[in-house]
Amino acid sequence: MNNSQTTGVASKRAYVAAIAIILFFWQVAAWFLPDFLMPDVPVALQRLWEELNSGEFYEGLGNSMSRLGIGYGAALFFGIILGLVGGTLDMVRSTLKAAIIILQSIPSIAWVPLFLILMGFGNMPIIVVVAIGAFFPTALSVMNATESVEKVHISAARVMGASKMQMLKRVYFPAVTPELITGAQLAFGNAWRALISAEMIVGFSAGLGKSLAYSGEIADMTGVMTNILVIAILAAVIDQVILERIKHRLLRYQYL
Amino acid sequence: MELQFSQVTKSFGDLNVIKQFDTTIRNGEIVALVGPSGCGKSTLLHMLAGLQQPTSGTLTAGGASVAKPSPERTLVFQEHALYPWMTLLDNVALALEFQDKPRKTSLAEARKWLSRVKLEGFEDYYPHQVSGGMRQRCALARAFIARPKVLLLDEPFGALDALTRMTLQSVLKDLIEEERPTVVLVTHDVDEALYLADRVMVFSQRPATVLREVELGHIPKTHDLTAFADVRLEVLHLLGIDTDEHTPADSQGETA
Repeated sequence: MNNSQTTGVASKRAYVAAIAIILFFWQVAAWFLPDFLMPDVPVALQRLWEELNSGEFYEGLGNSMSRLGIGYGAALFFGIILGLVGGTLDMVRSTLKAAIIILQSIPSIAWVPLFLILMGFGNMPIIVVVAIGAFFPTALSVMNATESVEKVHISAARVMGASKMQMLKRVYFPAVTPELITGAQLAFGNAWRALISAEMIVGFSAGLGKSLAYSGEIADMTGVMTNILVIAILAAVIDQVILERIKHRLLRYQYL
Repeated sequence: MELQFSQVTKSFGDLNVIKQFDTTIRNGEIVALVGPSGCGKSTLLHMLAGLQQPTSGTLTAGGASVAKPSPERTLVFQEHALYPWMTLLDNVALALEFQDKPRKTSLAEARKWLSRVKLEGFEDYYPHQVSGGMRQRCALARAFIARPKVLLLDEPFGALDALTRMTLQSVLKDLIEEERPTVVLVTHDVDEALYLADRVMVFSQRPATVLREVELGHIPKTHDLTAFADVRLEVLHLLGIDTDEHTPADSQGETA
């Protein structure tokens, strides 16, 4: 307990130091470059503050978050199911895994033209691309974990008379949870990258990616840097605060 | 429940583990199987549990052929069979929940069984937080809670230190006396076999054949096994341990 607390403090300290270093290098670049190419850090923070007080920012944020939520949520749901089923079926497992590895190597953004034409201009192509980005790492991590569930845990459940459904819910699912969470964090990184880039390309209604692309088009570098700042902060908050919390909640038994 | 092997053969590929094995275990009898590592005695046990099928021959429990696992015939594993993501209480209750008993009654019953194995106060601990001996007490509670007609034990205390092992042997003996299941115990420990069993079967190397059957009868026993000294020496001898290698004078010389 004591140990995990001190490492928690240490990792927080490391985060603060890392942020300070990143902002320092940004500021150094701003000193050397003219203002219209690289704004000072305080100028960008000032713009961020103004944005936070405008309605437009929240519309974009809301749109992006719902696309992320739907796409990432669907990817987790189907990824877990495919991973569990695939992991228990000895016959198809290796083929399925190979297929996932091949598909995973395609950058999710490469699917944009296809889905844009298939589904038309709108939210759907962005959501699908987010889902594709998150689906493969989730499915793969769950499948690998399912494969390596301890034999004795399965035998014990069989001896106790577990049905297939009970086995899945009470044995396989909790057994794969640690790897699932690692996979889900990896999947979040993919989903986030896919979301921002798809929004930049598709440019349908307000969104973080669209706002960034627009600032670039009108050569508003303060806007560009502010948007990048928002994207970085949100990713860090979602991953380090929300996902880490869920991880500690679900894997509580490991931290006791 | 009477257990009957007739002409049971089990092979894994070319490897003959059990060859035309015949025996009958009477209802309520306590039989210990001892033999060298890898001689196939665990395979006999797993077949009784329904986790493995004989390659040929028939195996019946209570007159019915053993085709799959059933809570009537439960198996206690050497270790690590408790689910690490569940508390001790949930681990024990699970045996009833797998039989579709309501959660509330399962938990109440599990509490009762945990206190029968002297684990009250540890209900909310996770397996990794308690000692190996406590984990096996919990495993016994989980086995007995379903009131099995047949209790199969696969080297249940093999990973414990000598003192803890003896304590757990007494716990197990008391539970068997009270619940009176038919018991098949696989063990390396000759003293454990003599202490717990009514009949000891000594196995040879693969393919497993019975070298000697010792009928001890169902008599009350303590850990003082001096009355069984002759049988003990004979069994050890059959297992290839040279029992008259050291005279007391010799061993004194060694320790000096």
